[in-house]
Amino acid sequence: MESAIRNDTMIGAISRKDYNGYVTNLAQANINAEYIIKEIQTNDIDMKDFLFTLGCYEGETITVISILAENFVIAVKDARYSIDIDLAKTIII
Amino acid sequence: MKVALAGNPNSGKTTLFNAITGKIEHVGNWAGVTIEKKEGDIKKALNVTGVTMTAVDLPGAYSMSPFTSEESVTSEFVKNENPDVIINIVDATNLSRSLFFTTQLLELDIPVVVALNKSDLNKKKKTDIQVSQLSEILGCPVIETVSTSMSGNGLEKLISTVVEVKGQEQKAPFDAKNMDLSNKESVAASDKKRYEFIKEIIARVENKQIHSNRQTKQDAADRIIAHKWLGIPIFAAVMWVVFSISQTHLGPLLADVFVGWIDSFYGWVQGMLGVGASPVLSAILLDGIIGGVGAVVGFLPLIMVLFFLLALLEDCGYMARVAVVMDRFFKRVGLSGKSIIPMIIGTGCAIPGVMATRTIKNERQRRTTAMLTPFMPCGAKLPVIALFAGLFFNDAAWVGTLMYFIGIAIIILGALIVVRITGEKNKRSFFIMELPEYRFPSIKRATVSMLSRAKAFIIKASTIILLCNAIVQIMQTFNWQFQVVAEGAENTSILANIATPFAFLLIPLGFGVWQLAAAAITGFIAKENVVGTLAVVYSITNFIDTEELVLVSGGSDVAGIMGLTSVAALSYLIFNLFTPPCFAAIGAMNAEMENKKWLFGGVAFQFGMGYVASFFTYQIGTLITTGELGSGFLPGVILVTVMIGYVVTLVRKGDKIAEAKMAEAKMALSA
Amino acid sequence: MTDLVLAGVILFIVCLSIAKIIREKRKGVKCIGCPFAGCSKNDCSCDSLVQLK
Repeated sequence: MESAIRNDTMIGAISRKDYNGYVTNLAQANINAEYIIKEIQTNDIDMKDFLFTLGCYEGETITVISILAENFVIAVKDARYSIDIDLAKTIII
Repeated sequence: MKVALAGNPNSGKTTLFNAITGKIEHVGNWAGVTIEKKEGDIKKALNVTGVTMTAVDLPGAYSMSPFTSEESVTSEFVKNENPDVIINIVDATNLSRSLFFTTQLLELDIPVVVALNKSDLNKKKKTDIQVSQLSEILGCPVIETVSTSMSGNGLEKLISTVVEVKGQEQKAPFDAKNMDLSNKESVAASDKKRYEFIKEIIARVENKQIHSNRQTKQDAADRIIAHKWLGIPIFAAVMWVVFSISQTHLGPLLADVFVGWIDSFYGWVQGMLGVGASPVLSAILLDGIIGGVGAVVGFLPLIMVLFFLLALLEDCGYMARVAVVMDRFFKRVGLSGKSIIPMIIGTGCAIPGVMATRTIKNERQRRTTAMLTPFMPCGAKLPVIALFAGLFFNDAAWVGTLMYFIGIAIIILGALIVVRITGEKNKRSFFIMELPEYRFPSIKRATVSMLSRAKAFIIKASTIILLCNAIVQIMQTFNWQFQVVAEGAENTSILANIATPFAFLLIPLGFGVWQLAAAAITGFIAKENVVGTLAVVYSITNFIDTEELVLVSGGSDVAGIMGLTSVAALSYLIFNLFTPPCFAAIGAMNAEMENKKWLFGGVAFQFGMGYVASFFTYQIGTLITTGELGSGFLPGVILVTVMIGYVVTLVRKGDKIAEAKMAEAKMALSA
Repeated sequence: MTDLVLAGVILFIVCLSIAKIIREKRKGVKCIGCPFAGCSKNDCSCDSLVQLK
């Protein structure tokens, strides 16, 4: 979402989980747990399509393998990808 | 007959291309190494039929949708050029993703042969794929291949199958006929069905014992190697080891021997000429051509060790992790993770690095990356680094390592300035990168890589560098009246006359003599020229075995001949590395930026950056080592202040643009 | 005499390198000596620090 205006409150959220521990997007996911993707929430259609061709779309399983620097290593299908936190937030699980 | 190679990024397409054509294209263990299509004739040994077969290697694509430019090249080619047969390279370790593209390729009505590549890796992972069943479901031949191995790799069978299927009809296993291409939702629905279809296939043909989303040793390694804080020291340590081997230990050892040969050749020619030959002519041959080229080529063994190690490093999959570690810093300054790949490519040569920026969609990011990529020390700068590390820093490994990190620091600073000037600091972009599996680097590939780069180095040295050295020698021998300059009156030579005005500007940097200015100027033609020109202007033929030189020149060492302190030498090195690259790279920048304002701005920025970095190195360094400021501090500080001041004004202007944009966006939001 | 031969040798070497440069340029190389000469018309194919041929 290259044209997106930075949303400071969202970026500033340091804790990855809500108070009740309810997980809504991939940025809050537990490591090593399998999740089902509910939705890809983004206005960037190209990015959505790209994620789709990687096999990252509604109904697919996704696993966070580790968090490196500020990137999330995810396993989708049989490959490992490194995605950033902004992208992780668009993946609703 | 034309055969197209298509497949997902990092599926081993280029390796397969090399194996069947006998060409040796670059192979990298990461996604997106191939940017443009490449062609080559298929080896006769594999092609028993005798029909000329041309293979076209296409950039990797995950699907037919043109998400990134490398993918649109693929889909356009497949649609427009009508290959006779498509070889679809499928990564056997990631069947479920690869088959998405396969089913799309099968709909093109061109016979497809699936090469099930990396099948050796599957055996290690205890994954079993029933090839005959897969072939039956897809309706096309499936051949298991291992393109990295020399024999039993299935390539012969692959090529003979390709010949067999030529002209055959291709049935599509997945029917997408009722998909309405103009309707986005219809396409999405159809694509989902396609994935469902693939899932069914997978369930039938694949037997996996180890689930790929389980933590592996590689993941554990990643957590350390690409760690938030450890990642950078590890990268530094890796680079230090690379330079330690090539610059401090193995490299000089080999270079000593090699330079000995060059010296004896020099002596032999000198003996041949005898005393009767014209001193001007023999100086052109001996000092200009043999000495100058010899000085550059003398670094060959050292550079080869370095090339070899860098090739190993890339082959094992480490560079993708470096990209992940660096992404965080790059994003803060408005660049994306995609900017890292051109920069890593730029460590080989800035030109392909700059060209690789083409895959960056955002215009500002693309131009900024093209402008900053040349700050990475490229292969041509390595002899310059090696020279100064050897002469002034006792072959210390930290010099080379430091140059890479200064390059990275300048890139980050540069990106920060550019993003502020353009007033786009509030924009963000996504980063996604496939993490390839680590693999044991191939000694063979690294050796081939090293040899080819060595060959390129020699060709460059014996053409461009040779000519430049001869010209430099002539220019310093004659004055404007074409008289031979007298000994002791070297300042009247053509070269000295041209270089002196520039030398004035360089006084605040610690090296304001015409010889060093001339070397820096010839460096714009090719950076190796810095070494060659220094050799010519100081009549030094051997930069490696300096102990011998000390004896020859009677006690005064090379550092003394050049009249540089260690600090000034470091400043000179920084100036040469971080001012604009060679003209060829500037040409590439021009092509990718597609904007003269950006090009001139970029080159001016590179000059300014090199000057300022060099100024601070020299002045602060001198202050620390001697307790006094270096020469020409006052004019220098004025010049540097003006430059920084100008950039600050531009940044202020940019900030206002950004504020205006922000306000506009807020208005739009509240409305 | 020696000088004539010497001048001839220098001229020969220089011509040789100019000829090589022209040949390389004809192949469409951006940078002389690039091992990927002629692989691709409007691009360097040495996409990375590992250049092979």
